[in-house]
Amino acid sequence: MSYLNNPAVVMDNGTGLTKLGFAGNDSPSWIFPTAIATSQGNSTASKKMTTNSTSGSNVTGSGNPYFGNSTSATSFNNLNSSMLLSNNLAGKRGTEDLDFYIGNEALIASQGPSYSLSYPIKHGQVENWDHMERFWENSIFKYLRTEPEDHFFLLTEPPLNPPENREQVAEIFFESFNCAGLYIAVQAVLALAASWTSSKVTDRSLTGTVIDSGDGVTHVIPVAEGFVIGSAIKNIPIAGRDITLFIQQLLRERGEADTSLRTAERIKQEYCYVCPDIVKEFNKFDKNPDKFAQFIVENQEKTQKKVVDVAYERFLAPEIFFNPEIASSDFLTPLPTIVDHTIQACPIDVRKALYNNIVLSGGSTMFKDFGRRLQRDLKGIVNNRIALSEQLSGTKSTGVDVSVISHRKQRNAVWFGGSLLAQTAEFKSYCHTKQDYDEYGPEIVRNFSLFNMV
Amino acid sequence: MLHLQSSNLLIQKTFTEALEANKSGEPLTFDRIISDFDYTNFHVSNDPENKTQLFLSVRTKAWNSILNCDSNGSQGVLSYLAAKYTKLAGITVAGGSESGFDYTLAIDLNQLTGETIVQLSLLKTNIMSYPFYLAFQEFATLSTQNPTTTTVTVGRFNEETGNVSSIDVSSTLYTIQYRDNENMFIKPSNDRITVIFETFFQDETDKVFGKVFLQEFVDARKRNRDIQSAPQVIFSTEPPLELQNHLPKNNEVNDEASKRFITFVLFPRHFANDELQFKTVSQLTLFRNYFHYHIKCSKAYMHSRMRYRVDTFVKVLNRAKIDEDDEENGNTETKRTITGRKMVY
Ligand SMILES: Nc1ncnc2c1ncn2[C@@H]1O[C@H](COP(=O)(O)OP(=O)(O)OP(=O)(O)O)[C@@H](O)[C@H]1O
Ligand SMILES: [Mg+2]
Repeated sequence: MSYLNNPAVVMDNGTGLTKLGFAGNDSPSWIFPTAIATSQGNSTASKKMTTNSTSGSNVTGSGNPYFGNSTSATSFNNLNSSMLLSNNLAGKRGTEDLDFYIGNEALIASQGPSYSLSYPIKHGQVENWDHMERFWENSIFKYLRTEPEDHFFLLTEPPLNPPENREQVAEIFFESFNCAGLYIAVQAVLALAASWTSSKVTDRSLTGTVIDSGDGVTHVIPVAEGFVIGSAIKNIPIAGRDITLFIQQLLRERGEADTSLRTAERIKQEYCYVCPDIVKEFNKFDKNPDKFAQFIVENQEKTQKKVVDVAYERFLAPEIFFNPEIASSDFLTPLPTIVDHTIQACPIDVRKALYNNIVLSGGSTMFKDFGRRLQRDLKGIVNNRIALSEQLSGTKSTGVDVSVISHRKQRNAVWFGGSLLAQTAEFKSYCHTKQDYDEYGPEIVRNFSLFNMV
Repeated sequence: MLHLQSSNLLIQKTFTEALEANKSGEPLTFDRIISDFDYTNFHVSNDPENKTQLFLSVRTKAWNSILNCDSNGSQGVLSYLAAKYTKLAGITVAGGSESGFDYTLAIDLNQLTGETIVQLSLLKTNIMSYPFYLAFQEFATLSTQNPTTTTVTVGRFNEETGNVSSIDVSSTLYTIQYRDNENMFIKPSNDRITVIFETFFQDETDKVFGKVFLQEFVDARKRNRDIQSAPQVIFSTEPPLELQNHLPKNNEVNDEASKRFITFVLFPRHFANDELQFKTVSQLTLFRNYFHYHIKCSKAYMHSRMRYRVDTFVKVLNRAKIDEDDEENGNTETKRTITGRKMVY
């Protein structure tokens, strides 16, 4: 059993981006889109590409599909299919199931005629198990270079994942890959653990409200002592992709030179911030024109430049969270109200602790001042309610502390939390092992004991 | 992805990142673990004082057995690796290896180039190639010696293979213990080098798949004329003759029973020049991983076929379902005739 000193593998497969790495590292080793490009079978378009397993002709340069971490699930810089190492399967019959690419390579391959792109995860849940199994296969052997028999794995799942999905995961990991041991953690719990790095957090408890906003959906999840309070979870159908689309729409309306999704996404990540008050912010922009920015789009060869003006979308785009009516007509409740409703739906004895520890996680909470605005709005709601109840009952309330915690690891908080927990000595004792699986079958993964870290 | 690459992508990525950050004037701080097959772990870290100085340490299960391959002690492999790496710009061998690791290289980011990064990512392959290098050398001396004189001193006749009347076998056998239950053996002789893998399966299903694959390695060569120049492959359930005097006898019995042996016979054409040697070695050192990777891929393929099957069955079942519309309308008492038509009262 010498796998004891092998690091555990931590995988967070999100709707948009997959985060892969080893426990003990402070950031994921790989971040790439959860995308797979599969060969379209009958296509005879044989691409002649040179293969040389050791060649590193384009090792440097950010255009290489292997290097640099992605921030976008739908685009990759300088798409150019000649950069791929060929699968070199032309003429080898019976190996079609190996003819696929994942991650950035998939985005590139799908530019050509012979591959079609798909995203196996929708709204946080795996939809296409065939694709997902091959996605994992490639992640493990090509990107992480691990023999799954020698490693323990920590995977993540969205809140309210059906137990059948867990069993599917277990079947794949134990039966296809023979992994040594497996732990499936709820993303929200890991995000809470990741917040322990923040200096604001004093006690390492697993109680708090997690706001996890990624690419496809935003969840508000109350967690009490490591248990997710399932009945109170709320979803908001607004997340990263909607914000990007909103920006794109604004760009189109203004008739900018470049209105691609990729440009919109980069503008979102580089220029957007949350303002305290939109009316004042509009005034500020009108009085002070250097608030408007310009974003320069270069084409692949860097020969042409297009200039895109960035205007009110700088603060309007993230504002969707706080005033959804500006972008959508069917979902109208602002995020702070949802958070309040979520906490109010929880048992009364944990509510204070839940208000006290509101943790942000995921790429779409990265906007500047997102946490501050949320805290202010939520405090407003809570204080109003306290005032009202004091007035009605005539007694003095002890008050409720609202505190929203944002920290440096927020972007990949789920992965980071996983890395923290999986490097502890006890981790392996919480896992189900291959022997357990063989003994009891897939339903064993319906329950995992919780980490008690205190 | 049919083949596994011999270089480690993640090492390449990490050093490319480091290089670019350094070029832009903000060197990154590193403390990262990178893993590779067969209980191999790397650690990339900074010099605490000087951020442009990186260390790449490696620890691999095979290390001790590789040290033992050389009768002159550990100096052999160290100077072999040093010769490979110090000729590259920006790399020096660190004074002592980092604690907990077997071997450490120091890398100066200011001199690092893309080509060097590729060599760094081949560190594991290079370590594993040392016993092969020894075998190639030994082959060179054995093949020039007069066969009749050597047989007396070191040889032992091998009558089993039959295709050569008698071969001299030197008594050397390099053993690489790269996994718990599986070893790799390299045996040079005067006209060939034999590489033998022990395979062992923890899982019953794997054993079945593995058997098919191993047999296929043998058969493919017989069937396909295009690959006649590939090394000969022999699959056996008994330890091959080359090993019989060498295998430790104290192995557990049930262990022994499930072990299979696969033998590759390398002829001079497979290692005539440096390039061929590198190719041969990097493919052989990845053999076990390649083999297990494909077992796993086949299982994944089987799973997808099974899912497809289940889906079609479910469709058939769904066709037999009664429409639920009526129930939703609160009309729970709809009755149907035997042909499926609704009864109207
Ligand atoms: N600095 C940033 N500012 C704003 N948005 C960002 C930033 N960085 C990334 N994003 C957005 O975050 C999203 C990806 O976040 P994340 O990786 O947390 O999602 P995911 O885990 O793939 O999805 P989910 O958790 O919903 O399954 C993308 O839409 C991306 O555009
Ligand atoms: Mg996520």
